[in-house]
Amino acid sequence: MLVARKNLVQEKTRLALSVGGVALAIMLVLILDGLQVGMFRQITAYLDHSEGSIVVAQDGVVNLLGASSLLPPETQEQVAGVRGVDEVVPILSQFVILDLHGKKQPVYLVGYTPEVGGGPWEIVDGREPRNDKELIFDRVLADRHGLGIGDRVEVMDRQFRIVGVSSGTASWMTSFIFLQKSAVEGLLSAPGATSFLLVSVDEGREPEAVLTRIARLTDLEVLWKSEMASNDTRLFARFFSAPVRLMTGIAFLVGALVVGLVIYTATVERQREFGALKALGAPNRLLYLVVLAQALLAALLGTAIGTGLAQAASAVIMAVRPQFLVVLEADMTGRAAVIGLAMALVAALLPARVVAQLAPAEVFRR
Amino acid sequence: MTRLAIRNLFQSRTRLAISVGGVALALMLILALEAIVSWIEQRVTAYIDASGADIWVSQEGVRNMHMASSSFSASLAASVARVAGVASVTPILYRTNVVLAGEDRTISYIIGLPDRADAGLPWIIRSGRANPGRGGAVIDQGIAEASGIGLGDTVEILGDEFEVVGLSGGTASLTNSIAFISRRDFARVLADPRVVSFLLVRLEPGQVPQDVARRIEAQVPRVTAQTREAFAAQERKVVRDMSTDLMAIMNLVGFLIGLAVMSLTVYTATLGRRAEYGVLKALGASNRDLYTTVGIQAVVSVGLGLFVGLAFTLALSAVVPQFASNMGLVVSPLSVAEAAAASLVFAGAAAVLPIRQVRRLDPAMVFRGK
Repeated sequence: MLVARKNLVQEKTRLALSVGGVALAIMLVLILDGLQVGMFRQITAYLDHSEGSIVVAQDGVVNLLGASSLLPPETQEQVAGVRGVDEVVPILSQFVILDLHGKKQPVYLVGYTPEVGGGPWEIVDGREPRNDKELIFDRVLADRHGLGIGDRVEVMDRQFRIVGVSSGTASWMTSFIFLQKSAVEGLLSAPGATSFLLVSVDEGREPEAVLTRIARLTDLEVLWKSEMASNDTRLFARFFSAPVRLMTGIAFLVGALVVGLVIYTATVERQREFGALKALGAPNRLLYLVVLAQALLAALLGTAIGTGLAQAASAVIMAVRPQFLVVLEADMTGRAAVIGLAMALVAALLPARVVAQLAPAEVFRR
Repeated sequence: MTRLAIRNLFQSRTRLAISVGGVALALMLILALEAIVSWIEQRVTAYIDASGADIWVSQEGVRNMHMASSSFSASLAASVARVAGVASVTPILYRTNVVLAGEDRTISYIIGLPDRADAGLPWIIRSGRANPGRGGAVIDQGIAEASGIGLGDTVEILGDEFEVVGLSGGTASLTNSIAFISRRDFARVLADPRVVSFLLVRLEPGQVPQDVARRIEAQVPRVTAQTREAFAAQERKVVRDMSTDLMAIMNLVGFLIGLAVMSLTVYTATLGRRAEYGVLKALGASNRDLYTTVGIQAVVSVGLGLFVGLAFTLALSAVVPQFASNMGLVVSPLSVAEAAAASLVFAGAAAVLPIRQVRRLDPAMVFRGK
């Protein structure tokens, strides 16, 4: 261990590079993981905060954000009449594209009835809309475009006045904006239309039994709110998990490459010393341990620094681009440590090969 | 010096492979991501490009299809048809919904076509017919195959059952597919069946689309009329604007990785050859000669990395569509230029540390056996 430590710290720049390489890789892995977890939280934010435990959608529609749903007009009354149903909150929702300062910005319009529910869960400024020409805008999107209470925005060529600003309703891809349901009906030329019903169950009633009873109504998709949230997460994970996994893999490879290269160079440079150790009777196993210990030291140090860097970098990212939510959970640090150790193992392979092939007589020929 | 630099570089093949591999990985990240977005841009406008319409008419203020909703009175189709220069008007309905094929659900653009459609039909038909007609549906062949569905089988769209009467090609992407049913079947689920989503307008020969689009907007109230090219450009802008932030982060990651790997490999290579550089200095080589050597090594490593990264991305773009009909990569000259520019920065930055090292090198060191 002493040989390993001395060998590693002898050249300070090299040590800094190897630890820095691992730290960079670990930071990338953690931030990518954190971005993915944050994105999933943002995707399900509306369902996580809205009323009820059951969602009723058009037959075949199992996502809130993936597909538009349109319920037959009589559905709300039918569902409200089911035994065990306490409250039914209708919403009419649709993705639309806003033109904000020359940029196309997708937003998710939620048409709701302020007296009944289905609107924003945290209004940080202003109030709820009182007529069809008012709306609540997401805070992050408003800040990015310099909009505030009293400003006007154009949605599908109609002017609306911002009367409220909501928090927790943004993601990097889209933001939620809230209007009266009748206003969205007008925008979509769909009078009386409803996309989803958010259903609460009477206290003391068995929720499963209520869900089964609602599902007996024809041509409807009835599912738990948590189930729909998982479906949305799965849908978006299908698009984004592959690139994130690819990048995590690349970050891992780079970390391993960096440590491997540094230890390899250090080992090649110390060939004579290793040869001398071999000539003095040190078995290959001991020399492997020296190489592995160097890799482990660099990886552990890099993991610790990388974890700290990830915390700092995520704070910077969220301050500069508040539409990104980076969630660093405790188990991620554990995973980062495992990744760091794996990097060390992979990194030790090349230098170990050099040591194994070393002839003890080498030292006497130089 | 060039010969010396290259021989020196190729002497340690393992180190060269690591260095080239690292740069290739980083550049591949930049190239592949850009290629995927370019492919999505192309695919997202495939229906518009192949629609056969010269002009797209939508609800006022709606300028694209993706993540948008357009609906206006069907009676406006007659007003548009009366505008000078218009040869035909095909009203279609459109909504993002689900195609339920067997147990598989696919998010799809559902297009409702009239019985006699002059535009907007599926443009590649692998089997069956193009116009679905009442009770029929045309779905993407890849989606059908994945679900074990064929002609004559039943799928569920907008909550109703339809018989598959045609299988189309080029109608699936990473995010969704396109399915076609009849406009009358589609209208059954609408809150107001008297609306349409878009009017696909074909022009008489010799007409200029921009002029006719202006005439439509002037003569028909509350609609937006755009040429096919302008409509497709708006669609591409939605994808580009949505992916800008993500691309910026991914490119930064790729850039940092490339920078770290290149700097480290060139630095360690120089460190490993310290004694040789000392000999060269002792023999009278100037610092400038040694800088040139380091610089050439950096440029050659990065150049090889760019070549390998580009070759691998091109190979991916050829292989991926063979295995997944809903995924592809389009490598654009612009993205190659971006990657090349990033490579130059890698090489420049990578040479900085070793140059400092070489400058401080004491020629006498070699005689002391260091």
